[in-house]
Amino acid sequence: MPEPLMRYLIWPLVKFLVAFLIVQVIVAAMNYIERRLLGLMQARLGPNRVGNEVFEKITPRSLHRFIPGGLLQIIADPIKFILKEDIVPSSSEKVAYFLGPMLPLIPAFLVFCLIPYGPPPTFVVTHVNVGLLLILALTSTGVYGIILGGWASNNKYSLMGGLRSAAQMVSYEVPFGLSIVGVLMLCGSFDLVRIINYQADHIWNLFPQLIAAFIFLVAMNAENNRTPFDLPEAESELVAGYHTEYSAMKFAFFMLAEYSSMIVNCCLMVSLFFGGWTLAINGYGLTTGVLRGWGLAGGILGAVIFISKVMLFMLMYIWFRATFPRFRFDQLMDLGWKWMIPLALANIAVTAVVVLLGLQFNFQGEVVLSIAGAAIIAFTLFLLLRPRAKVIHARRVSEA
Amino acid sequence: MHVEYQKPRWSDKFLLLDMLEGLKTTLRELFKPKVTIRYPEERMEPANRFRGMFKFSFDRCIACKLCALACPIDIIYIDVHDEQREIDGKMKKLKVLDRYDIDVKRCMFCALCEEACPTKPKSIWLTTKTYELASYDRKDLYFNMQQLEYWEGRPEYAGLPADEPEPKQIEGGMP
Repeated sequence: MPEPLMRYLIWPLVKFLVAFLIVQVIVAAMNYIERRLLGLMQARLGPNRVGNEVFEKITPRSLHRFIPGGLLQIIADPIKFILKEDIVPSSSEKVAYFLGPMLPLIPAFLVFCLIPYGPPPTFVVTHVNVGLLLILALTSTGVYGIILGGWASNNKYSLMGGLRSAAQMVSYEVPFGLSIVGVLMLCGSFDLVRIINYQADHIWNLFPQLIAAFIFLVAMNAENNRTPFDLPEAESELVAGYHTEYSAMKFAFFMLAEYSSMIVNCCLMVSLFFGGWTLAINGYGLTTGVLRGWGLAGGILGAVIFISKVMLFMLMYIWFRATFPRFRFDQLMDLGWKWMIPLALANIAVTAVVVLLGLQFNFQGEVVLSIAGAAIIAFTLFLLLRPRAKVIHARRVSEA
Repeated sequence: MHVEYQKPRWSDKFLLLDMLEGLKTTLRELFKPKVTIRYPEERMEPANRFRGMFKFSFDRCIACKLCALACPIDIIYIDVHDEQREIDGKMKKLKVLDRYDIDVKRCMFCALCEEACPTKPKSIWLTTKTYELASYDRKDLYFNMQQLEYWEGRPEYAGLPADEPEPKQIEGGMP
């Protein structure tokens, strides 16, 4: 086989397929993990039956109490989706109705070529030096499928859901993009690999860009229509929003796209603010150089670190869902336009001034920013974890 | 009524302390033991005065038929015959119970039969702890007096008898 073909076609394809398969397994497992964890946080058990008999037969008795119940739910759910009747509403716009669930899948899957899972060159599918821009461009097209599906269903609730989703995703795209600018100013590159290496050589961007990380977290929740921003599928108002009329595999496609883009956003979060596959501060620890020195084992270790960080953020999505109630729509827009965007702009201004001053007066700007960020985190943790007397929230002053 | 709330401090507002407090609460809830009972494997013991399935005592019953009279839906079937029997050297007329059936599938567990029973202690009572009364067959829910007296656990599905013909379908749709 000619060398360029191997290098530019076959190897990237193989890497993409491996990464894609791993991600899809995570997506399937997330369904079970989410239901189980939500249940546990809501004082119930969640799915705990499917497959217990199978596991009790094939494993020794001493292991039984370590196996969580209901593991085969991961397989049972997709089978159910495949076997269910595929209902198409007779008054729907047929072409758009079929395109609806497919359109968000394409960008959600395509993005997995651009994410670096481990130290390059082995664990990076395509090394694009404007990778971050490409990922942002691709993920923001996911909204078209939702609007199309909502409109084509010929159902007022679906249409409302689609419209809400459009408004919400467009408004939160702005702080989502603006929050990244600070990171770009510090790292000086759109290349995710270089951003991760920068963090390994200095410090996780979480500390110098704490506000940006917070805005990114909120905006990525809103981008994926997750609680507390799940207004497009608010079941108490809109039945199920844009996917009310979808059943069987079409519904599964919407879910697949949603969870895939959740994983993409978590990957971005980890790469931009939490050091990607590295575990290092100021060049000490598991940097890219160290991992590459260990060959394939080091690469796999890096990928494992990356995926476990991503999983932590996926669990965070579930944690948020179990905790926060849904916003009203005007509150959602207020938060997006009146708070997130000014905050992101202020963060950009402060970062720019500090970096420029650092260049002018010969000190490291990110160190100053890191100290400020670490101080905020420490202060918050202190306020949160300090022992204190029970707060009396309301005091009756007088009888009116 | 006028209620004044404690003013949140600026630090509480800007650091989103109440949201973090909420996250802390759900995280604590995650590790708490749950009270759910996994039903077929684990069963709850009902309280002592729980009213469940019937129980009947042949020895205590004096065949007075008061329970059948009290039953609002007439599902207690009693047959009695008189007998001359020698007790303590005298001939006495006795009522002997031939049949004491309860059609439990129609019963609403009002316990009026138990209230009407004149014997002490009652010869029909409902304070058993059995609550698993579901059955696969309507026939399993028609109890005669032996079944009512010596019954243990829930009725098992015995299957349809082989020699019995299939029940006739009523022709012509709705009756």
